[in-house]
Amino acid sequence: MSLVKIFSLSTRARVAGTSNALARFASSNEGREETVYPQAMAGYKYVNADDPNMTFKEMSNRAAQTLFWTELVRGFAVTLAHIFKEPATINYPFEKGPLSPRFRGEHALRRYPSGEERCIACKLCEAICPAQAITIEAEERKDGSRRTTRYDIDMTKCIYCGFCQEACPVDAIVEGPNFEFSTETHEELLYNKEKLLSNGDKWESEIATNIRADHLYR
Amino acid sequence: MSLGKYLALDKLANLFNILKQNGGIRGTLYKLYRQEEAKDGVLVGEDKFGNKYYENPRYFYGRSRWVEYNEKFHLNYDASQVTSEWYGWLHYKTDLPPHQDPSRPKYKWMIDGNENLSGTTGQYTPYSTTRPKVEAWMPKKAE
Repeated sequence: MSLVKIFSLSTRARVAGTSNALARFASSNEGREETVYPQAMAGYKYVNADDPNMTFKEMSNRAAQTLFWTELVRGFAVTLAHIFKEPATINYPFEKGPLSPRFRGEHALRRYPSGEERCIACKLCEAICPAQAITIEAEERKDGSRRTTRYDIDMTKCIYCGFCQEACPVDAIVEGPNFEFSTETHEELLYNKEKLLSNGDKWESEIATNIRADHLYR
Repeated sequence: MSLGKYLALDKLANLFNILKQNGGIRGTLYKLYRQEEAKDGVLVGEDKFGNKYYENPRYFYGRSRWVEYNEKFHLNYDASQVTSEWYGWLHYKTDLPPHQDPSRPKYKWMIDGNENLSGTTGQYTPYSTTRPKVEAWMPKKAE
């Protein structure tokens, strides 16, 4: 048995060999043609495992591979080679992945170049918000213009669909490029108007550049 | 393929280049300790917080641009310390670094500092920006 194993005569090969012999014997009795696999037919491809080559050279090669653990050594060589290879991962936060100008991240309320806030409290974003994350209250300001007194976004309700920035007629509420605003507590994500305006002041450079990069497609 | 490339001598040259750029063996070991990676590249610019931005197109897209945070942060660096001006360049949205991009707006009401202060004393706490709808009645004291 051990000799047979060394010379790579697997059980499957032996069984196949005997059954072939039996089939040949039977076929000779009944006078039928024996079907030989793989069949050489045009347009067909034989996908099963081929029978091992049974020449003495091939058999001793297979036995040598088993005896000297060459597969194991080759496996270790692949592992060693991967240590010197360039990694396929990126080293965040030093390297960052590519991002689209249309990326929908943290919300921000923008201002006009003069510094006047854009939002006119039309409440279209509040109406369209499918998660009902936006709450707006409006009052007349001293100079007679209509402004929000409350603009709250519950960032834990928000699903970042971007409907609010599409609904906004004055480009006031936008989803900025920032996605690095994770917090330790829930309450820090209940944004009010001041927080959203300061987000806009911090990110205006990037928000304006994104809108300009995408203006041909809007 | 040249003989030097066949013998992987260009890889060896890269290694010595990396060692030279990161300040010798000690400097490279410090970089590995702080950033887990030492790379060679061209200094593209520096933002107002002292973070340095590098580029080397030899690395694949996604690794070819990187930031080295200011030394004063030591191990307390955070991804949100990148300024909004450099954010687009670092995220491969544009090939123009901010000092070469004339279309970037500069308004006097723009403010610096995107750092995420969650978990520190500087963190954001929500508050109401309106007066309460219901106010308790405080009866006037009889004079």
